[in-house]
Amino acid sequence: MTQQFDVLIIGAGAVGSAVAREMARYQLKIGVLEKEMDVACGNSGRNSGVLHGGFTYKTGSLKAQCCVEGNREFDRVARELDVPFRRCGKVVVGFNEKDMASLKRFQARGEANGAAGLEIIDKKRLQELDPSAGGEFAMYSPNSGILDPIAYNIALAENAKANGVDFFFDQCVTAIEHTDGIYAVKTDRDVFKTRWVVNCAGLYSGVISNMLGIGGYVIRGFKGEYIVLDKKAGAFINMPVYPAPNENGGFATHAVPTVDGNVLIGPDSYITEDFEDFGVTSKHIEGLIEDGSKMFRYVKREYFIRNFAGIRAKRVDPETGEVLDFVCEARDEAPNTVNLVGIESPGLTSALPLARRAVALMAAREELKPNPNFNPVRKAVCKFSRMSLAEKEELIKKDPNYGEIVCRCENVTRSEILAAIHNPLGACTVESIKNRTRATMGRCQGGYCEMRITKMIEEEQQKKETEILYSRKNSYMFTGKVRK
Amino acid sequence: MLKEYTCILCPNGCEIKVQTEDEKVITIDGASCSKGEEYVRQELTDPQRNIASSVLVENGELPLASVRLDRMIPKDKIFDVMEEIKRVKLKAPVRAGQVAIRNVLNSGSSVIVTKNVKAI
Amino acid sequence: MAVQQRDVIIIGGGPAGLAAAVELYKKGIKNLLIIERERSLGGILRQCIHDGFGLTRFQQTLSGPEYAQRFIDEVEELEIPYITNATVIDITCNKTVRAVSPKGILEYRAKAVVLTMGCRERTRGAISIPGTRPSGIYTAGVAQSYINLNNKMVGKEVVILGSGDIGMIMARRLTLEGAKVKAVFEIQPYPSGLPRNIEQCLNDYGIPLCLNHTITQIKGTSRLEGVTVARVDEQRKVIPGTEKDYSCDTLILSVGLIPENELSLAAGIDLDGRTKGAVVDENGQTNVKGIFAAGNVLQVHDLVDFVSTEAERMADAAARYVSCNSLEACGLNVRTDGNIVYTVPQKISGKKDFVLSLRVKKPMRNCEIRISQNGEVKKTVKMKKALPASMIQVPLRKEALSDRADLEVAVTC
Repeated sequence: MTQQFDVLIIGAGAVGSAVAREMARYQLKIGVLEKEMDVACGNSGRNSGVLHGGFTYKTGSLKAQCCVEGNREFDRVARELDVPFRRCGKVVVGFNEKDMASLKRFQARGEANGAAGLEIIDKKRLQELDPSAGGEFAMYSPNSGILDPIAYNIALAENAKANGVDFFFDQCVTAIEHTDGIYAVKTDRDVFKTRWVVNCAGLYSGVISNMLGIGGYVIRGFKGEYIVLDKKAGAFINMPVYPAPNENGGFATHAVPTVDGNVLIGPDSYITEDFEDFGVTSKHIEGLIEDGSKMFRYVKREYFIRNFAGIRAKRVDPETGEVLDFVCEARDEAPNTVNLVGIESPGLTSALPLARRAVALMAAREELKPNPNFNPVRKAVCKFSRMSLAEKEELIKKDPNYGEIVCRCENVTRSEILAAIHNPLGACTVESIKNRTRATMGRCQGGYCEMRITKMIEEEQQKKETEILYSRKNSYMFTGKVRK
Repeated sequence: MLKEYTCILCPNGCEIKVQTEDEKVITIDGASCSKGEEYVRQELTDPQRNIASSVLVENGELPLASVRLDRMIPKDKIFDVMEEIKRVKLKAPVRAGQVAIRNVLNSGSSVIVTKNVKAI
Repeated sequence: MAVQQRDVIIIGGGPAGLAAAVELYKKGIKNLLIIERERSLGGILRQCIHDGFGLTRFQQTLSGPEYAQRFIDEVEELEIPYITNATVIDITCNKTVRAVSPKGILEYRAKAVVLTMGCRERTRGAISIPGTRPSGIYTAGVAQSYINLNNKMVGKEVVILGSGDIGMIMARRLTLEGAKVKAVFEIQPYPSGLPRNIEQCLNDYGIPLCLNHTITQIKGTSRLEGVTVARVDEQRKVIPGTEKDYSCDTLILSVGLIPENELSLAAGIDLDGRTKGAVVDENGQTNVKGIFAAGNVLQVHDLVDFVSTEAERMADAAARYVSCNSLEACGLNVRTDGNIVYTVPQKISGKKDFVLSLRVKKPMRNCEIRISQNGEVKKTVKMKKALPASMIQVPLRKEALSDRADLEVAVTC
């Protein structure tokens, strides 16, 4: 079956989903192709979850512009899309004169970029802001914040979907052909036809770029590992604590509270050739413990609940290796394409600003008719654990499934799991349920609830046990029945 | 010949040493109760084990009912008995103590259910 | 939301909760309630279908479900009140207990609260096993629940990390169901499970147990494809050059159990860093008056028979507490030497009989447990062998004790 679209977006990360949502404001038939089984499987779901202030990027760069713009609007965005977000501020701490010089330099750069409210603070003030932070002094960025990156990605995609965008998972793009003004986008399973192609392929944005006929972009994978700490440690931290950046604005390992109350220690940074290599290593975890302890006092093994790794897709100069700015372009040699390349940190903060720029590039080439039915508002599934006692009582009265706790660490109810199984995007792996509900993300890591969740998937989706997937294609969880 | 055994009859796990000559027991040392000696004599001639597994239950609130043997069987019969257990299908309700297979493979041991499973 | 009054609320209807309920009832405390989150009573025993339970208590070897059923039958016969499918979300220091159930939020005010929530398994994340995150990695208890309760087979080619009892029991269970269990790897120089399980779960089936080994790498991006295993030195550091690859589609982790004390912390209960359970006195009472703990929530046991008796002793004291609204003060500490991991209780009065539970740090042979006060030996127990895997229990009589000095416990060879 060949399907015909006005726009096909490649990649359902935060940027692809944001582009889908922003393009849904117009009368366009839009599809999103994603190689994984769900949104947020790449770096959009593998980062620190920080809304950046915009003080480290070169003044005038796309990174600086989009970051500051995205930061300013995020209270409204979080409200519209019902995304957990806290503008908690952030401290960048220093220990010596060199650090102080660095902080001052980036304070000046931030001011030039339009990042408001930056101030250098002494140790006393630092301790007031965050008693667990390391450092002798700091730069305080009051407008920085924390958000749930996976929830944000899901929210963007769900809002796009509600406004008519189609999502296709397990579709890995293998070739793109252009004939008579129509692109045939071939995947490992299907062919999709479209007038426009938008490249939001993250780590693979260089590869897709080549398929579009735009050569020369080099993407280098900067891998970073993380440790997730128990909520017990989360009680000690108020805001992200970063070390003073190096000359290029790069940060080493930091400590970040999550909106759910955990703490992330990471990432470090090293180059990987393998863009699917999300494994963690003993060596780097040891390094995180050492470096993270300088930022946060409670990096203790008893609080460790999980590790993960992300790979930042940095565009580099092939000659010098220098990290370059975001690319957001529409090039004549590839008509009717928008090419987003090298989108890494601050990609999450910049997703919507980049999406608007992508729309503008398209609007410059053809007239876009507004979609009169577009609704920017999306409601998340009601989270039982965040409700007051009276609200909980009310929820259970309306739906007794709210009265059955499935994940006991995160207090996720049967009702929320059911909603996640039947999510609007149609993703249905154990991980997609985890990402929507937080079930299995607590300290027991699914010891109690995973069995219940797989049983519910089996029942609700009429699946055989061998068809239940953990996360990716072929990540089957069971080899069959014990007794037939 | 000196042989060493870990008794499996109770959690003490006594380490028992047996001295044999021409398959005759000369001394048994290290057992803290008489059962330990019996265990070792049995091990020397015909090791016996119990096994636990599950059988399929139709129309039950659980898909499986756990089972075990009411007495031990020769160790080398374990997998033969497993094949028999795999073939059993019970209809709910099932009660603990119910016999799933009587005298399995003429071993003198029966497979008994160890869990109540209500019908749906 | 109507608040109900109860003499005792028991949190968790596993072996400890059931034994405590029956004992409290027999002691005349009838206005009690067991709150269980599952659909039926029995706790973890429902999935422990292997035999070997009940030898000391019933002088016969039962499976887990049968052992639990004996207590459940007693609860039913005595008509002890219980609710299932209700998860406690909050306990306060003034003994208000809140639970979530499909009927709504249930709130109870109790004279005493009994904590019997059991334990959870240590996970991959807690021990930071390096590598990717494919499917096919299960803790032993999760694999056990899939196989024994859910009729789902977890894999075909298995490697097991950790020599805990559940891991070894799953090695046998998986083998009986046709899986190939390649080996059990243990980072410590001694096994963490009982000798009988090494014998009947591993040796019987030709499954090697490799001590001083750990997993250094997990491979596979979708389903597990293999692990790398290496020897470790005395500091548990990997010895380079000893790495060996094992192909497998399943990795079972049996790397320890942790008492489940999140609710206890919220109630202001002090935990012992060594047991990860509450600090209790000889009555099983925590630092919060009227809140008691027993079973795996207090200290991880290797035998359910000990869980039952521990819960009964605690229930006996809880019954006295409900009647008198207080118990004798326990101001004396139990101190340990370097060969002991922990003791329970941690506090005593010196005026009452009690059972001291302890574990040794490393295997010891022909050793002696010496219990003394102020340098004066009060009791000695000679042991042929003491293993970290086996909890040691020593009954102590009040006649032998002083109520003036801390108790000192030492193990010497």
